Amino acid sequence: MQRVLLLLFSVVILGSCNQATQKDSAESQRSEVEEIVSATIEEVLAQPAEYDGKQVAISGMVTHVCKHGGQKCFVVADDGETQIRIVPSGDIDEFKVDLEGSTVAFKGMFRVMTVVEAEEHIEDHDSQEHHDHEMAHTEAEKADYFIEAVSFKEITQ
Amino acid sequence: MKWRKWNRWLHRELGYLFFGMSIIYGVSGIALNHGVARHWNPGIISRSESFVYPTPLSKSSVDRAVVEEMLKITGERKNYKQYYFPDEEQLMIYLRGGHISVSLPSGDMWVTKVRNRPFFNEVNYLHYNKPKKLWTWFSDLFALGLILMAISGLLLVKGKKGITGRGGIVTIIGVLIPLAFLIIYLWL
Repeated sequence: MQRVLLLLFSVVILGSCNQATQKDSAESQRSEVEEIVSATIEEVLAQPAEYDGKQVAISGMVTHVCKHGGQKCFVVADDGETQIRIVPSGDIDEFKVDLEGSTVAFKGMFRVMTVVEAEEHIEDHDSQEHHDHEMAHTEAEKADYFIEAVSFKEITQ
Repeated sequence: MKWRKWNRWLHRELGYLFFGMSIIYGVSGIALNHGVARHWNPGIISRSESFVYPTPLSKSSVDRAVVEEMLKITGERKNYKQYYFPDEEQLMIYLRGGHISVSLPSGDMWVTKVRNRPFFNEVNYLHYNKPKKLWTWFSDLFALGLILMAISGLLLVKGKKGITGRGGIVTIIGVLIPLAFLIIYLWL
């Protein structure tokens, strides 16, 4: 009998813990949703200072994924010209080449580099071998702004 | 001496245990070295084939029907994803597993197919610790094993060819080489 009571007690405790966890998770998800700013690439790049350091959700077609390790990819805006650099962060290790040509929704932090960071970035970029000629994403590759993506989802494959 | 016997035992057993890991990390190490130096891409294999579109084109003359015709010529209709114009004279048609790059004025089309490089894709996956979780601890164990193998290796032989003789000189040379690279490339 004692064993049955102990078992029941454990089940109740576990159940309440689980509920509390679910509640916490729901709260954190709600606050996460509240903090993410959904915007177009053009909107973000029109006012970079406004979005700097904020969690944003953007989407667009992936035009290029870096073939050397997938540590960056580029997304084109609806105007078909403006591009933005996305780098993996959080649980994302790399972007797969398969993403090229897919429309993808990204969530992550929009960041504008400091002057020193931007200089180092250009120096680093110029020190590496890149494509033989200027690519459509070259400007975005050298740009002092980018998104650190923590999650992404392919909308069209 | 008894410790020398144990040292030999440790060196031998670690060598057996970590043979597979040494090959994995050695092979992927070479691959990643040359990947970083951009000599070749250890992760993917890329193959290109060229075709020609019968007439010269401009950006405004390209629509879905023209793209369909290009897909038919290249035999890639079933792999089509989307297309876009990187600039006024270029069209990029994205495919599952590659893309078609088109020079609009000349009609030249290059079909590039990309796929994971077998074997290297797998060993690099392990070398970069992509599995995380338990692999982190096993590869840590391997790293510790390497250190132990290096130290026990120094003490395998005694005498003129050992660490107190020629072995010591070779060991010092082996330490000085990476140090020289650090001095030349990093610190100067």
